[in-house]
Amino acid sequence: MGASIDVSSLTEQIKTAASDVAKRDIAVLKGFSDRQIKAIAQQAQLVATGIASGQITEETQEFFLESLKTMAQSFANTLQGLAKVTIEKIWNAVVGVVWGAIGTATGVALPVIA
Amino acid sequence: MKRLVKLLSPFTFLLLISACTTSLAPSYDKAIADGLVAASQQLMTHFAATSAGTAADSFAQRDATYSSIIGNLDALTLQAKSRPAPSSSVSDKVNEYLTRRGITTSDTGDVPSAVALEQISITLTKMRDVDKKQGVTAIEVAAFRGQVVIYLDQALTYENFLEREGN
Repeated sequence: MGASIDVSSLTEQIKTAASDVAKRDIAVLKGFSDRQIKAIAQQAQLVATGIASGQITEETQEFFLESLKTMAQSFANTLQGLAKVTIEKIWNAVVGVVWGAIGTATGVALPVIA
Repeated sequence: MKRLVKLLSPFTFLLLISACTTSLAPSYDKAIADGLVAASQQLMTHFAATSAGTAADSFAQRDATYSSIIGNLDALTLQAKSRPAPSSSVSDKVNEYLTRRGITTSDTGDVPSAVALEQISITLTKMRDVDKKQGVTAIEVAAFRGQVVIYLDQALTYENFLEREGN
C-alpha cells in the first residue's frame, strides 16, 4: 500500500504543469497573431493603393479583394489549430501528473494510454 | 478524492475521466516542415526575379518555374492532408465544452497548413495565368508576394508547432 495523495501538492503540480505549457505556447500564439494582423493590414493597404493607381489591373482586382477575406479565415483557422495543440499539451501534462500521483499513492504503475 | 475532484476545473475533470493522453492535432512530419522551407525558398526566388513586373511575351522563360513550384506545393498539400486524423470524439468533447461556455468554434477538421498551402497554390496559379495573358505589374507581383508570405507564415507556424514532446 502506497502513501495517500497530498491534495495541496498535487494541485500545485497540476498548476505548474499546465501553466508551463500555457506560458510557452501563448507567447508563440501572440507572436503569430501580431505578425498576421500586421501583414493582412499591409496587404489591404497595398491592394487599395494598387487599385486606386490602376497598377492592380482588372484581371486581378477581384482576386486580391476576395483573397483578403480568405486570408483572414485561414488565419482564424490556423489560430484555432494552434490552440488545439496547446490544449492537447496541457491535457497530456495534467494527465501525466495525476497518473503519476495516483500511481505513487496506490503503488501501481498506471499505464498512460495514448 | 472528492476534494481533489472539486479542486479541479470541469475542463480538467473532463480530461481525467477520459483516462488517457490524447492527440487533438496531426503528428509532426519533418519531411513536410522541410518541404515547406524548400518551397518558400523557391517562391521567394521567383518573386525576386519578377519583382519589377513581367511581360507576356517572355512568359515562356518562366513557365517551367511556375509548374515546378505549383507541383511542389500540391504534393506538399497532399502530404499534409494525408496524415492520420486525430480522435474526433475527444475533439468533439473540447468543442462541446467551449460551446457551453459561449465560445463559438468553427472546427471544419481541415489541417490549417494544408488549407494555407492550397491557397498558396491558388495564388501562384492566378499569377501564372495573368502573367501568360498580359504580364504582371510590379505592384501585382508585390501583392501576390504579400499574400503568399501570409499563407507561408500560417503553414510554417502550424507545422513547426506540431513538433511537441513524444513526436
